[in-house]
Amino acid sequence: MIQPILTAGIEVALWTAIFAGSGQATIGSYPRESYLAYALWAAFFARISSNWMYEFRMIEEIDTGSVNSVLARPISFYEYYLSQFLGYKVITSLISLTVPFILTLFIGVSTYHSRFPAALLLVFFYLVLVHTVSFSIASFAFFFNRIHSLTMAKNIALWLLMGELFPLDLIPEPYRSWVIHLPFSSGVYIPVGYLTGRLGHADLLKAFVSVALGLLVLAPASSALWLAGRKRYSGTGA
Amino acid sequence: MRKYMNILYGFFKASAIADLEYRLNIVMKVVTDIIWYLAQVSVFEVIFRNVDQVGGWNLHSARVFIAALFVVDSIWMLLFSENLDRLSDKVRRGELDLLLSKPVNSQFMMSFQRLSTPYLINILITIGYLNWAFFSLPEPPSGWRLLMLIVLVPCSLMITYGMRFFFSAAALIFARAENINYIWWQFYRLGMRPDALYPPWLRYIVLTVIPVGFLASVPARLILGSNEWGFIVAAIGLGAFMVWVSTRFWAFALKRYSSASS
Amino acid sequence: MDYAIETNGLTRVYETYKKPEGVWNSIRGFWDRQYERKVALNPTDLKIEGGQIIGLVGGNGAGKTTLLKLLSGLIYPSGGEAKVLGSSPWSRDRNFLRRISILLGQKNQLWWDIPAADSYELLTRIYDLEPIAAKKRVMDLAELLQCRELLQVQLRRLSLGERMKMEIIGSLLHQPAVLFLDEPTIGLDIVAQTNIREFLAEYVKRERPTVILTSHYMDDISMLSDRLLLISKGSIVYDGTVNGFMSKTERMQKLSVKLLKPPEKEIVLSERLTIPAGAEGLSVELPSQEMGSLLHRLMTISPVEQLKIEEANFEDVIRQFLETESRRRQARHPFPT
Repeated sequence: MIQPILTAGIEVALWTAIFAGSGQATIGSYPRESYLAYALWAAFFARISSNWMYEFRMIEEIDTGSVNSVLARPISFYEYYLSQFLGYKVITSLISLTVPFILTLFIGVSTYHSRFPAALLLVFFYLVLVHTVSFSIASFAFFFNRIHSLTMAKNIALWLLMGELFPLDLIPEPYRSWVIHLPFSSGVYIPVGYLTGRLGHADLLKAFVSVALGLLVLAPASSALWLAGRKRYSGTGA
Repeated sequence: MRKYMNILYGFFKASAIADLEYRLNIVMKVVTDIIWYLAQVSVFEVIFRNVDQVGGWNLHSARVFIAALFVVDSIWMLLFSENLDRLSDKVRRGELDLLLSKPVNSQFMMSFQRLSTPYLINILITIGYLNWAFFSLPEPPSGWRLLMLIVLVPCSLMITYGMRFFFSAAALIFARAENINYIWWQFYRLGMRPDALYPPWLRYIVLTVIPVGFLASVPARLILGSNEWGFIVAAIGLGAFMVWVSTRFWAFALKRYSSASS
Repeated sequence: MDYAIETNGLTRVYETYKKPEGVWNSIRGFWDRQYERKVALNPTDLKIEGGQIIGLVGGNGAGKTTLLKLLSGLIYPSGGEAKVLGSSPWSRDRNFLRRISILLGQKNQLWWDIPAADSYELLTRIYDLEPIAAKKRVMDLAELLQCRELLQVQLRRLSLGERMKMEIIGSLLHQPAVLFLDEPTIGLDIVAQTNIREFLAEYVKRERPTVILTSHYMDDISMLSDRLLLISKGSIVYDGTVNGFMSKTERMQKLSVKLLKPPEKEIVLSERLTIPAGAEGLSVELPSQEMGSLLHRLMTISPVEQLKIEEANFEDVIRQFLETESRRRQARHPFPT
């Protein structure tokens, strides 16, 4: 809760300074208010759209071998952790998102509050993809020790690709189209851009499709990885 | 002094042997930091492609700034990432007891015993990037200014060390390490942007109370041709002061620990 | 005369913050803290001559480790004085630290991920030793411990017993004049325990250091120590030879027997001991000198499926010792004033 507030504070200060120092009225055709709103929302959405704790737990379970107790349950490892992960995110997002929601109601920064439910829906759809990525990474724990650094690398990469650092439309072409069309932009850039008026309904719909395509590719890949890992695991008899 | 250099070399050797055990880990550490560098670089590259200059910084000088930050950061990671980030952990597991029974300064042992040797690769990369950023300036100042880094980088490290040490040792006393580490990280982040971006009051703070401005802003400004020589003196003085404060603080924490632990 | 270790009213008291129950009391505790005082070591006077081996024995939480940590300067005392090798331990003087060594049986000083030999090299630098001489010493000690071939293996690949051998070499590398050994055989199997015990006996004979040894196992103490200190609830309750202690306590052993089949009628083993009809076996503690005759009698009466004889719990022995002591004292002074 405190973390995104601090992050948002620093980012808002940064954009204020950029506008003050540059003397320009708009950057990339959007005004100052748009950036401030983006910086505020992005800090909170980024927090929701990333997975540290549950990925860490999945890896621990595999590392320590306590995964066996989960495997014995009548629910798959994937589903077991997906339900926990989403449940946790529902609660935390309800609490933490009230902060920017109320703030933006009072301060006159550009936000379309009616778009909030649709934006949140996209984020939760995206979380299924996030979980699938985490599941794939956890599967590597069957093959290697000490893979927590993999979580670190992935989350820093997503930090960039989601658009927490800056609105992705500032990136020069051709990278810009690439990064925006990747499903990871649905973590921050698309929902926040949609909320703050940078993007329209069509962009949101495209993002749903992009996440769905991402899942279509990643789901079979991750389950293959998991099965291969389990085979290797039981092979060593650990 | 010679003895301590000798011990430091011993730590380096032992750490290297330990690190080479986990090859994937080496690769991941290097790759993770490269991704982190890319993220930081992209912020400035993207912003300055849309804005000509901010508070006196343009794309070229911002590159030098970020490169200076990376150099300091990569050396920091080599020396202290393992040692100071996990200081309170180690104390809780009782490793301090064994350190205290050694005839060597315990703060020295605690601060340097486990070096993260994979970051040597990163140091080469960041120094390379700094050279490139410096010499691709439209009007590069004379090259001898880079030599000032031989003094300025150790000063940055000493100042950062003092601040970080304070936070780590505070975690020892207050026992809630995660939150304290988080606050530290937020301070560090303040140092990851040129100080000129901040409003005057905040700029004053990052150069005095929480001197993260010395992390990269001051060194970058000086090598970019600024003649604020006072800052060199300030950096040296502050560096020495911060390290001195850290030794006092360690003595205090130790006394407390020795009186409280079982 | 000069003692290697000398203490005078050495005391240690802990104050721990007593966590109150309930939210309101917790809030109150913010400014009005209740501290609990726990005495870890009552005022203690000790005189230990150089070259002696002292066995320090006591139950969990009796104050063994506290005394050890005080004498090695890891913690400050709450009162009293101590001189170890002529200096005050908690001044942590470098020359003092160079002459002592502390081995904590449950903690590693060697690095987990590297071979012990590389850790020794590091210790050589830390203790400022001559590299070639230090290497030779490692080899000698390893020879004595029969673990030369393990020096180049990463510590984490070694068994607990092997690791302890490596830790012992590490703590002896700088030829300490005073050696504090806290539970050097804890958790080890019998073979490893015996190995380490034999090594320590040999080492002490060769180099004559002053040693304070704590252990849960009476065998460690009885084989190695010249003098036994028994510590209970922060006070030294016995100070004398091991044999003197043994003669004052009956050596108790614990016998567990499972019979092949429950007896149809009661078995009388001795005046005090019977196995009732239908029982599956028995479990009993008795003085070791009675063990032989009892077993002989049992075997002749009933076939036995399983049989186990254990040393009685050390805590029980101490308790028993303390009880007999206090009875004896009362007998001597029947009318306490």
